Order: sequence, then structure tokens, then C-alpha cells
Amino acid sequence: MAKYIGSRLLATIPLVFAVLVVTFLISVAMEANGSIATQICGEGATPECVGAVEDELGLNDPIVARFFSWFGAVLSGDLGSSLLDQNTSVGELIGERIWPTISIVGFSLLIGVTLGMLFGVLAALRPGGLLDRVISVGAAGVIAAPGFLIGMLLSWAIAVELGWLDPVGYVSLGESVTGWLKSITLPSIALSLPTLAIVQRQLRSSMANALQSRYVLAARARGVSRPKLIGRHALPNALVPTVTVIGFRAAAAIGLTTAVEIVFGIRGMGEMLVSAIVNRNVTVLQGGMIIVGLVVASVNLLVDISYGFLNPKVRLDK
Amino acid sequence: MSESELEPTIEETPPPKADSPRQRFWKRMVRNPLALFSMVWFVILIVSWVWPELLATHDPFKQDVTLQRLFEGPSGDHWLGTDGLGRDHYSRVVFGAGFAFRSIFIAMTIAIGIGVPIGLFSGWRGGRIDRAIMWVNDVLFSLPIILLAMAVIIILTPSLTNAMIGVGIAMATRFVRLTRGVTLAEKEELYVDAARITGISVPRILARYIAPNLLPSLIVQAAIISGAIILIGATLSFLGIGASLDDPDWGVMLNRARPDFRREGIWQIMPSGGALVLTVLAFNLLGDAIRDAIGRDASSNALTITKRVSVAAASTSHAEGDDLVISVRDMDVEFPSAKGPVSEILNGVSFEVRAGETLGVVGESGSGKSMTMLSALGLTPAPGRMTRGSVNFLGEDVTNLTEKAWQSIRGKEVGVIFQEPIAVLNPAMKVGAQIMEPLRIHMGMSKAEARTRAVELLTEVRVPDPARRLDQYPHEFSGGMAQRVGIAMALACEPKLLIADEPSTALDVTVQGQILDLLAEIQTRRNMAIILITHDLGVIAEAADRVLVMYGGQVMETGSVEDVFFRPKHPYTKALLDTMPQNHSGDGELAVIAGIVPQPTAWPTGCRFAPRCVHATDSCTSTMPPLLTVNTDVVRCLRHGEEGFDLAQPASGTEVLS
Ligand code: SF4
Repeated sequence: MAKYIGSRLLATIPLVFAVLVVTFLISVAMEANGSIATQICGEGATPECVGAVEDELGLNDPIVARFFSWFGAVLSGDLGSSLLDQNTSVGELIGERIWPTISIVGFSLLIGVTLGMLFGVLAALRPGGLLDRVISVGAAGVIAAPGFLIGMLLSWAIAVELGWLDPVGYVSLGESVTGWLKSITLPSIALSLPTLAIVQRQLRSSMANALQSRYVLAARARGVSRPKLIGRHALPNALVPTVTVIGFRAAAAIGLTTAVEIVFGIRGMGEMLVSAIVNRNVTVLQGGMIIVGLVVASVNLLVDISYGFLNPKVRLDK
Repeated sequence: MSESELEPTIEETPPPKADSPRQRFWKRMVRNPLALFSMVWFVILIVSWVWPELLATHDPFKQDVTLQRLFEGPSGDHWLGTDGLGRDHYSRVVFGAGFAFRSIFIAMTIAIGIGVPIGLFSGWRGGRIDRAIMWVNDVLFSLPIILLAMAVIIILTPSLTNAMIGVGIAMATRFVRLTRGVTLAEKEELYVDAARITGISVPRILARYIAPNLLPSLIVQAAIISGAIILIGATLSFLGIGASLDDPDWGVMLNRARPDFRREGIWQIMPSGGALVLTVLAFNLLGDAIRDAIGRDASSNALTITKRVSVAAASTSHAEGDDLVISVRDMDVEFPSAKGPVSEILNGVSFEVRAGETLGVVGESGSGKSMTMLSALGLTPAPGRMTRGSVNFLGEDVTNLTEKAWQSIRGKEVGVIFQEPIAVLNPAMKVGAQIMEPLRIHMGMSKAEARTRAVELLTEVRVPDPARRLDQYPHEFSGGMAQRVGIAMALACEPKLLIADEPSTALDVTVQGQILDLLAEIQTRRNMAIILITHDLGVIAEAADRVLVMYGGQVMETGSVEDVFFRPKHPYTKALLDTMPQNHSGDGELAVIAGIVPQPTAWPTGCRFAPRCVHATDSCTSTMPPLLTVNTDVVRCLRHGEEGFDLAQPASGTEVLS
């Protein structure tokens, strides 16, 4: 197993590298679409301003040289500074903004995956039964609704009408644990519902496949009881495709959290990225992309490792 | 009445007029209420898009900032109320359809325009280039779509078109995967190979062979991705980096409502949110419906629960005797299907097996051998079910036994060895745990006891190094070793009956012999009854005491092994015997029975073997032969006992009807 994890770990290096190349190309492409420096300095840009920005971005160097100096800086943890304010480093900015985002995405995945698996198994127990149909209809509806819209509904119903939670704002974990939990509950639920539905659907269909397999038939012929057929025989096999879907969904949730954060007035990565785009503050966007790339790479790694646990063939062959 | 007076009595039933695939597709679509809903919704959307003025009641941009005109609820003038600038919600929602379609159009053109050619190229080329392309594709695929769109937006400046360029590029990765998968699979097909050899150009091959196979999944995927494009487009517009903030785009409407909906009421987000959700839902349902409608077999059918139905009683009584292990009488098994008629898989199957005896069951594949045994044990695969008959097991009527009650019999009193030895082992579970399962369930053994016994069992079936083998997974076993594991599991609780379905087919000849010897040895030791299902008459000759010949879901004849081999009563048995290599005179060509086993949905009207029977007469094709009892055995042939009827002499005069 250790060997397998090691080989998977190595496999993420090219992925991270590819993300860095794509990220770097954004500033090159922006350049091609008109001088970034002039745009940043605004109408009537002074030559000093343009010069300063060009220096900051190293825009006058050849592309390959620029890439390697940028690459070197990123490796040493230097993501540059915000183009709007030379004194704010992108690293610090992200350090401030990342915690609300991580909290919401993490909590939403926890809720979505746990409940999605529960409902998936429940639906597969009696396919075509009442529970299955109710869950299917709910899942189809939830998949069609964007997380931010669900967030608006929740915020209005739970926070405004019922007054159970605060409609906006974020309390950091350091300030108060219960405050933190309360502040991330609604956004996390909003973001988790589509996850829940997607995980439920996948697990239901792969459970149904597993329950129709020859090995389940054979286990039935040995007198294995229904709970064990489901829990010990079908579930571990059905989890393999489900884990893949969870991985994709985790990446999607990182993107979709932006809009949910804005609904709940939380100053996380989402708000940071949107204002970076509006202000064409490319270093901030690049910093955000690098972080997201790292998170996606770790999610992929986790998915691969769980394959190893779920599928002995993968684990032992490598 | 002489032969000649008989007019052929086969009724010329015209074949039911078959729908063309296209007709069938639309019929299925219209019959599916969800698909109908989405199609109606699309008609409304398309009208809103092409001619919004027809539906809209107001100018979507016209503001009315008199105070009482802001944030209005639904009224006669403003059907869906007004927004914070007094603009008419309903008219804005109508105009929003145009933005939705424009989004789909831009993103989809890019996604398909980039994705499909790359996928075709990659799948067709294969090899290293394919791997490199797919690697890059997977990297992009794994990044959040919104983030890729953001990257494009910051490069090109925010606008709906630019946002959709980004979404299109991200979605192209989905089409690369799909197209490449289909191309890769099709490329291996023989007809594509043949086309290549005959020098047909690659673009023509792609158009003629790959495209038709790609198109259905492409359409399904495109419908579902259209829904996703609308969702992401709305999210980007909501973030303020998509459509312009004055436009009547649904996402923008939600953006505009955001600061106020808590104060002004949730109604503010309902018109645009509702339109958005309904549209995405319609696309998803459409995709599902198309998939179901083009699928030959809607997979959802396989999921419906088999309702317990009362089983009609058998018309004949069970055999008697203390040594009787299992007795089945008049068993019918049916498979209902949503689209076709009910198909009758088994019809009037009867047999019995006594302690210490081996019943060989023969017949070509598709004759119902395996289904008979599964159904006798209450294991009929859904949605099939037993509709008539009676099963006695160890003196008890088990016809209507609940699944729970069966659990204490299966694995304990009856063991089953399945064909495909690897497929019946759970790939995610250690082999030892699977062998120990029946021991722990039925014998109440502790883990340690079960393990000791499992080692003994594996030793008994001659698996070398059993203790180590217990901790291995199924993929580490060869077919032969896995089959021994299957035997060990079936024998674990010393059952009174062993059902062995092709226990040796997958194995090479020496192993085959060993396994049969092993079974015989254990049988003598434990006085166990065995039902041996095989299509190999050699195995029957070697191992069986009595023989059951099946065809078309019916019993054709029973008899002792000597009778069946030397004095067959049924033309089908004779035909089977003639295919045996040693009975086959001549050039060493492998003999087969001419014709094919009919499908259960299309059994012939009279004798099911008639289309292939060399002795068939006119009445054979119109009258179903009854099961005749001959001494202690049975035979199902109209001509049995007919004077001068000789199985060795093919019928003359009355020729076989095609
Ligand atoms: S009934 Fe007629 S067709 Fe059928 S097996 Fe006998 S002879 Fe052949």
C-alpha cells in the first residue's frame, strides 16, 4: 500500500505542473489582448505607473525566462503582490480568505457525501419503491437548482422567516466555535444539496448493478442475509465509481462556492476572485488558481488512495 | 383421414407491423410524461426566444421608479410582479429565454467543435499521442468549470459571450472523453477493419461507421450538458461577470434581487429562479428520456421490484419416497417486460432427484437449464417469477417460502456451484472470508473455527497452500483454483443437494476430470444428491445416473443414462447425440444441430423443436406436444409411439417447414 500511495503521489506532480503552466498562460494571454499595465493603471496611465506594473510582472522579458522566474517564485511560496496594492501580497490575501472557503466546502462535502450515500443505499434497498421514488424526484429537482439559489431560499426561510441563524456573515473558528458552525451551516447546506443528489444517484445505480451481479447471486445461494448482501458484498464494490464522482464533485464545489459565499456575504475566496476579475487583478486570480489546482490535485490523490482501499486489485498490482 | 386431406393448419398470422426505430423512439418519448413535460416547456422557451414580443406584456427594460411600482407582487398588470426598478418580471423572464439559448449555442458550438474532432483524432490515432492528449484533457477536466471560465473572462473581459467561450472550452473536455471512447471501441470492430483494408478514406470511415454509433450518446450528453451550461452561465451572471447587469438574463435578475430579497420577500427570486430550475430540469429529463427511448432495453426496468404473485398449483403430484431430496412439478417461470409480451422462460418443468443420485441436465444454451435450478431455489432473477408449479425440498413444500426462510436452507441443505468461477467471487472480499461465510451463518462457528474448517475444505478440494490462499483476493486465483473455491463453498455445510452448473466447462481437460472425480468421491462419502448441468454429453456419460433433456424452456425427455444414450426417445436427444465427436462420421468437422434456439419471446406455436426437427410433420408446427409418461420416464414428442417411427430415419414426404 505504501508503495502504491508513493506512486500516486508522484503522479500528482505533473498535474500540479500543468496547472501552473495554464495559470501562467493567463497573464500571457491577457498581454496579447492588450497591455495589462495600461489597463491596470486606468485611463490616462502615467508612464511611471505602466513601467512599475511592467516591472512587477516582468512583462518585458522573454516568455520562457518569465515563466521560470515566476515558477521559481511560486515554488518558494511567493505568489507576487496584488496589482491594485503593491503592499498586499497575494499569499497573505489568500491566507485570509481561504478559511471561510475551506470551512464551507469541507462541511458541505461532509454533509453531501454522508447523506448522499445514506439515501443512495436506502433507495437501492427497494428499487422502484416509494422511498426510492421520493428520493429520485427530490434529487432530480436539487440537481437542477444552482447552489446559490438554494442558498437564497435557505437564507430567507431559515434566517429571515424563522430567525434561527444569522442571514449573513462569517465567524472565524478562532473567535467562537459555535459561532463558526452557525455561520457556515446554511452556506454549507446550500452547497451540499447538489453534491448529495449526485452522490445519491451514482451510488443507487452502482448499488443496483452490484446487487444484480453474479457474486451477489452466489452469496445469496450461500444463505447470506439481505443486510449483509448490501453492506458487505454490494456496497464496497459500488463505492468505487461513487468515489470518482465525489472527487469530481469536490472540484465543482470549489468553483460553485464563490456564488454561495456571496449570497451569505462571506468574504472568502469567491469574493476575492470575482473582484480580481472585475479589476483585472491577474496576480490575485493566478494565486487563486494555483491554490485551487493544489486542492484538486490533493482530492485526486485522495480518490486514488481510496481506490487502493476499495479495490484490492489496484492496491496489489502496483 | 389420410395425410393428404389435411390442409396445412398453421395459421398465417401476419407478423405484427414493426415500427421503424424512429417511430418507436417518438412513441416512447410521447408516452413518457416527464419527457412530454420537458418538450412542452421547450416549445414555450423556443417561442419566447424567437418571438419574445408575442408573449411579453411589457418592455423588459422599461423602468418605473414610482415608489409603489417597486418590488410589486403579482398583479393583473404585472403577472409576476416587478423588480427593484419597477421592471416587469414576467416580460424579463420571457426575454431571458433568448439569453439562455444564446449561452447554450455559443458554449455548445465551442464544446462540440473542439471536443469531437479532438476525441475522434485521439481515439483513431491511439498510442502515445492519444495518451498525451487524454492526459492534458484529464487535467482540464478535473479543474472546476467555473474557474476555467473565470480565467477566460479575465483574459477577454467580462461578458456573457466571453463567459460562454470559457464554459465551452471546459465542456469540450467532456466531449473529448465521450468521442474518444466510442472511436476507440469502434476502431476495433471488424467491419471498420475491413473498411480500412479496402482503402476507404478515414473521413468516410468516421462518417459512415463511427458517427452513427457516436450520435445517440452525443445527443444524450449534449442535452445534459446544455442544462449544466445554463446553470454555470446563471452562476457567472449572478456573480456579475457574465451577462451585462441590465440585461433580462435569469442569472442577472437573481443578482439584482440579491441585496433586497431578504427585505422585500422571497418572491423577488421566484420568477427567474423558477424559470432557471425548470429549464435545467427539462434538459436533464430530456437527456434521460432520450437515453431510455433509444436504449433497446430500458435499464430502469431491471430495477423494478418483482411483486410476489401467487403461484398456481401444479397439476401433477410429487414423487414419493424417503430418499427424495428435491421434487419439482409443473414449474412455469415468466419474465414480464414493459415493452413486449410476457415471455415464458420455463414451461411445465418437472423432475426429481434422490439421495446419492446424480441427475444430469443437458440442452443447448438458452434451453432453460440454469433458470430451472435458480427458480427451484427461489433465486429467479428479477423481474422474472415463478407463476405455476410446486417445489418440494426434503419433504417440505418450499414453493412460497419467504426469502428469510430460504436463507437458512440455501448454503446449508443445498449448495450451488456456478459457472464463471471468478465472476461469482466478490472481487473486494478475501476469498477466505467468502468461504467462511456459510460456516459462520449456518454452523454458528467462531471466526477461528471457521478458518480452521476453511483450510480443511480447501485441502479437500486440493487447493495447495490453503492457509495462505485464504488471505488472497479473487483476482489472484486462476479459473481452476477459483472453481475449487466455489466447490469448497458449496460443500462447506455438507448439503444434501449439490447443484453444479457447468462445473468444469471453463477448465482444461485434466482439471475437468479431477473436479468430476472429486465430486463423485464426496458424493459417495456423504450420500449427496447432485444436479449436474452441462451441455457436454461426455460429462453426462461419465457422471450422471439419470438424464433430463431440456429445450426451449421445456423438458423434452428423461431417462436413465443408458436409455438416453442408447435408446433416445426424443428427436432432440438424438440430434444432441449426433453432435458428439465420437458419433460423428466423417471429415472431422464439428457437428451442430442446424438452426438456432428460438428466443423466449418467439417460441414456435407447436412443438418448440419443430423448426429444427428432421422428423417434424405438419401437426408438429400447430400442436404443442404433451408430456407423455413412458414407464417411469417422460417424453414430449407427438410422434413418439407412432407406428414405424424411427429416430434414425429422417422423415420423408412431409418435409420440414423451413
Ligand atoms: S413433436 Fe414433431 S417436431 Fe417435435 S420433436 Fe417430435 S417429431 Fe419433432
